[in-house]
Amino acid sequence: MRYFVNRLIQLLIVIFAVTFLTSIALRFLPGGSDVVVALKTGPGTTPEQAKAVKHELGLDRSLIGQYIQWMKDFLTGNWGYTFQTNQSIKSAIAAALPISIYIMIYAQILSLLFAVPVAIWSAYRQGGKFDRIGTTTAFGLLSAPNYIVAPVLMAAFCVQRKWIPYPSVYAGIDDPVAHFKAFVLPVVTVAIPLYAGYMRLLRADMIATLQSDFITTARASGVGTRSILFKHALRPSLFSIVTSAAVNIGALVGGVVIVEQFFLLNGMGRLTVESIFRREYPTVQYCVVVLALIYVVVNFVIDIAYAWIDPRVRAGRALG
Amino acid sequence: MTVALTEMPVPVQVSAMMATPPKHRRRGRFTMWIAIAWLAFITISAIGANWLPYIKHSCSQYPNPKQCSTHVIGDLRKIEKPPAWAWFAHPEKNIGNGPERTGIFGTDRNGYDLFSRAMFGARNSLLIGFLSITFGLLFGTFFGMVSGYYRGWADRVIEVMTNILLAFPALLLAIFIVTFSDNPNSTSSANDTRSIGPIILALSILAIPPLTRLVRANTIMYSQREFVIAARSIGAPNKRILFREILPNIVPTLLSFALTGLALLLVAEGALAALGLSVEAPLPTWGRMISSGQERLRQGIWWPALMPAIVMFLTILCINLLGDILAERFNTREAIA
Repeated sequence: MRYFVNRLIQLLIVIFAVTFLTSIALRFLPGGSDVVVALKTGPGTTPEQAKAVKHELGLDRSLIGQYIQWMKDFLTGNWGYTFQTNQSIKSAIAAALPISIYIMIYAQILSLLFAVPVAIWSAYRQGGKFDRIGTTTAFGLLSAPNYIVAPVLMAAFCVQRKWIPYPSVYAGIDDPVAHFKAFVLPVVTVAIPLYAGYMRLLRADMIATLQSDFITTARASGVGTRSILFKHALRPSLFSIVTSAAVNIGALVGGVVIVEQFFLLNGMGRLTVESIFRREYPTVQYCVVVLALIYVVVNFVIDIAYAWIDPRVRAGRALG
Repeated sequence: MTVALTEMPVPVQVSAMMATPPKHRRRGRFTMWIAIAWLAFITISAIGANWLPYIKHSCSQYPNPKQCSTHVIGDLRKIEKPPAWAWFAHPEKNIGNGPERTGIFGTDRNGYDLFSRAMFGARNSLLIGFLSITFGLLFGTFFGMVSGYYRGWADRVIEVMTNILLAFPALLLAIFIVTFSDNPNSTSSANDTRSIGPIILALSILAIPPLTRLVRANTIMYSQREFVIAARSIGAPNKRILFREILPNIVPTLLSFALTGLALLLVAEGALAALGLSVEAPLPTWGRMISSGQERLRQGIWWPALMPAIVMFLTILCINLLGDILAERFNTREAIA
């Protein structure tokens, strides 16, 4: 219990630090709030008008004052409107979040679906032909940044074979075909390095597990291969892959900007970056805090998952 | 590395070392030498891009020396020609006379030879990557050793700074640092009028926290070893212990990590370029070449984006390969998460 309280305090501090630093960094971007005025009203604004606009948007207050105001707005749920388009910030984020979450979930499922079996078989037949092909492929895939993968996929499936429209047109899950067409290429792009990372992690851990004594014992007492691999060896080997997958949940939601940008999907990453470019201070901050919250919640859940995967963690915590 | 610079491949944290050495080496010497050869070729081309015979350039055409890389084959009208070997590809329009296909990589919209441009791009990309990782190593080693050796308040301050930097979404951090240096009079951040300085600064700051952690962990480990205690007991000053006893032991780990880091930073530069946060307009980097070639993909003009992408991919692959071999040799694969 104390452990969780400590974690909670730590995470709150992290969220506070990140949002506060974001707000400071935003204000110090070149041009400051003048850029907001310039973008909102266009050229030829008189100083009085600029002042009025700034006052209306609350940009004439002190930095700390603005941050406290933002904190109040955030906690009361009264998130306000974007500067330029006068759109509700809540609805902008509500529109962007599902896209990012779809990409994250599909990419995780896709990469794990391939990585786990390949890693298990590679580890079981370490040094064999399958293992060598598998590790070499993973190594190659890891060296391909997604701004290289995305154009290749796009050139192949949208231009050479016109199977999938470009740019992706967002469609909800209620239209499965359009949904598939919108997400397949971005998801594959995101999943490729994920697959390679997961496969290497699980393979290394699996090899280590397969060399431990309890596996030898199990094998000696005549347990079948399938049972050894899936029942005995898999669970203790899951530790790093689960850690990595968990970290990626948070990282992927806001962090696939390049892919979103390339396929013109309006996810969280794109919303954040575009908002920085357009100096939408509050929008950026809400995006950052939403992403940080996702990160925090996931971290919490994963701590519980550890205890389930590896009873030793539970024991260790009880002792400590 | 909580949130890696998002567009890079997910950080690989290999936690478990193999208990026994693998039965046969995964990658033989042959692959290693190919990787070294490719990197040597790229490096030499990058350094000598101005005078090497196989890289075409015509500085005399341009008053601004920055535009040296932009070699036009023939006249400007013969634009966007596929590579000479691409028998299946045709230019969108072939005005003027001259060959339908030209060059190893073809030419781009402006008639620039893409191969030469890729080599000039190597100069900028490698310079950015190399300088960033060097700064990252210098500061990371310094902070890491101070924090790991002296502990106390210095350790706490450095720890807090590292944690905050790591908790901050890396891409946002990079965007902030790069845009800080922008011209305050411009309203758009996606204007390409930067020198390479801010890019290097942004990437260095991304590289410092993970390196600090790595060095700190290693310093703590070595500070408790008997040879350090021995040195201290015969009265060696702290400076000597740090530089003569601890540092040499950390260097192998750092070296293999530096290569991986270099690859990650090259990727990060491309990610920034994809967002329009690249260096000044005529200067090519690989990332910028790829991102500007992407507009043409829809018309089926694949070579302006894909040819530099291949060069970049091969380079990153070779650097990763060498990093992996080094790590295997020194047996140092630390999880720094």
